[in-house]
Amino acid sequence: MLRTSVNHRSPTKPASRLRKNWRGISLLAISLSVGLVIWETITHLFNIPPFILPAPEMVWNSFWLVAGNGTLLRHTLYTLLEVLAGLTLGVTLASVTGYFLAKFPTVEKLLSPYVVASQAIPIVAIAPLLIIWFGPGLVSKILICALIVFFPVLINTIVGLQSVPEDLHDLMRSLQATKRQTFWLLEVPASLPIFLGGLRVGATLAVIGAVVGEFVGADRGLGFLVNRARAEYDTALVFVAIFTLVVLALSMYGIVTLLERRLLAWRQRPEHEILIGS
Amino acid sequence: MKKATLLLTLITLLLSACSSAGTQQAGEEPQNIQTIRLPMGFRENIQFAPFYVAEEKGYFEEVGLNIDFDYSAENDNMALVGAGEREFAVVSGEQVLLARKQGLPVVYVLAWWQDYPVAVTALTASEINSPADLKGKRIGLPGLFGASYIGLRALLAAGGLKEEDVILDSIGYNQVEALAAGQEDAVVVYANNEPIQLAANGYPVTTIRVADYVELASNGLITNEKTIAENPDLVRRMTQAIIKGIADTIENPEEAYQISEKYVDGLSDLDKTIQMDILNASIDLWRAEVLGLSRPEAWENMHRVLVDMGSIPAELDVMQAYTNQFVSP
Repeated sequence: MLRTSVNHRSPTKPASRLRKNWRGISLLAISLSVGLVIWETITHLFNIPPFILPAPEMVWNSFWLVAGNGTLLRHTLYTLLEVLAGLTLGVTLASVTGYFLAKFPTVEKLLSPYVVASQAIPIVAIAPLLIIWFGPGLVSKILICALIVFFPVLINTIVGLQSVPEDLHDLMRSLQATKRQTFWLLEVPASLPIFLGGLRVGATLAVIGAVVGEFVGADRGLGFLVNRARAEYDTALVFVAIFTLVVLALSMYGIVTLLERRLLAWRQRPEHEILIGS
Repeated sequence: MKKATLLLTLITLLLSACSSAGTQQAGEEPQNIQTIRLPMGFRENIQFAPFYVAEEKGYFEEVGLNIDFDYSAENDNMALVGAGEREFAVVSGEQVLLARKQGLPVVYVLAWWQDYPVAVTALTASEINSPADLKGKRIGLPGLFGASYIGLRALLAAGGLKEEDVILDSIGYNQVEALAAGQEDAVVVYANNEPIQLAANGYPVTTIRVADYVELASNGLITNEKTIAENPDLVRRMTQAIIKGIADTIENPEEAYQISEKYVDGLSDLDKTIQMDILNASIDLWRAEVLGLSRPEAWENMHRVLVDMGSIPAELDVMQAYTNQFVSP
C-alpha cells in the first residue's frame, strides 16, 4: 500500500493545545507591550516632533478619530475589495495557466519567456500604464493585484503538479482512472500543499498590489489614505493606515493558513486513515 | 643601499609636500563657503533655471554659499526643514499652511512664483472656456490632495461650483495621456507645462489658469523658525542670491536655457522649442515689481481656501507662515 502523507504529526490533546495557544497569545501581548513602551520612551526621551515620529497615544487618538467617523472603514473596505478581486483573478489565471504549463512542455516552452519577462517588469513601472489603459477606477487596481499575485501562484502550481510522484500516476493508470479522476483524486490533493504555499505569498502580495495601484492614482483605499495623510503632514494618520494595512495582510495570511489547515487536515490524521484504499 | 635610502627619503618628502599642498587647497574653500543642500521638490527641470543661473554665475558663491541640489519629494523636504535637518527647501505655498497646522515650524521667506501655476486644461473642441463650464464634466487630476487639488477647488469655487458638481478622477501624473485618449473632459495641470506639451503634440487646448481667478501663495523658499532666529544673515544671503538668479533668467531666458543644459540631465536631447516655451511660460508666472515679495492677499486667499476645504482650522495664524523681511528692497 502507498502512503500519500509526507508529514505525519501526532494528534495534540485539546488541553495542551489550549495551553500552547494561551502561551503564544501571552508572548505576543508581552512583545507588543514592550515595543510600545520603547516607542513611547524614545519619542519622549529624545523629544521627537510628532511629524517625524508621533507617540503611540497620538496614533491611538488618530485611530479613534478615523475609526469613529467611518473614514478608516470606508478606505479599508475598498482596499479589501481590490485585494479579494485581484487575488481571485490572479489565482484563477495562475492556476489554469500553471496546469497547462506543467502538463504540456511545449506550452511551457512557448509561454515561459513571457512569464519570466512579466516578472522582470517592476509593478510600480507598469501601474501608471494600467491606469491609462483601464482607467483610474477599480479595474486597474484589480489588474495590478492580479499581476503581482500571478507569478508565485503560477510557479507553485507548476512545482506542485510536477512533484506528484510518478508511481502514483502509475497506480491511477493501473486502476484505469480517467483524466478527470486523476486530476481530482491525485493531482489536486497531492499538489495542494505547495499550491497553498504560493497562495499564502500571493495573499499578502495582493495587499501590496492594491497599495501600489492606489499610490499611483486613487481617490479611496488605504494607499490613498497614506498619500493624503502624507500630503497633510499627518504622520499619526500615516501610521494608522500602515498598521491597518499590516492587519489586513496578516488577516489574509491567517485566512489562507486556516484554509490550509482545513484542506490539508488529512496530513495530520493517523497513518492508517490516509492510506489509499483505506 | 645608501642610494636606495636617499631615493626613498626623497620620494617620501615629495609625496608629503604634494599631500600637504593638496590638503591646503582643498581645505581653503570650506572655511569661507558653506554648503547648503537645497531640496527642490521635483526632478531636475528647466523650471529651476533661476537656481542654475545663480549657481553658474557665482551668486551663491559671492555670498559664501555652495548649493547642492536635491531633487527629493516635497513632503519629505518640508519635514526635514521642520525638524531642522535642512535649512531651506523649495515648496508650494499651501504646503506651508498644512505643515504649520501639524506643528512644523516652517516659514516661507521668498515668493519665487508670483502666480499660482495650477490650471485646468481641456481640448479646445470641448468648449470649456471658464470654470463654470466645468459643471458635470469629468476632470482628471493627480490625486485628491496637494497643489493640483487645492488649485482646482479654488477654481471651482470661482466658478460657483462645488466638488459634487464635477466628476473627479485620480489619475496620477498621467494627465496628458488621459486627455489625449479622451478619458477625461479636462485635466488639472501646471499652466507652464502640460498645455505646451499637448499643443506641441497636435492637441489644441484651452487652459483656464487658477491665477486668473484667484490669487494664491505659490512656490517659494522656506526655512525654519530656528534658522531665522539664529542665523538671519544666512537667510538673507540665500534669498538675495536666488532673486539675482530669477532676475537674470527673466532678463535673458536664452542664456538661462544654455546654463540649465549643464544642470538638467538630458535637456539638450529634448525639443528645445518646447522647453523654451515652458521656460517662457514659467517666467510669466515669476514676474513681479519686487521679486520674491509675498503678497498678503495671496496668503489670506490660500488660508480661506484651505479652511473651506476643512484642511486647516480658521484660527491658524497665516501671518506666522510667511515673512518679507529678507526680500524687502
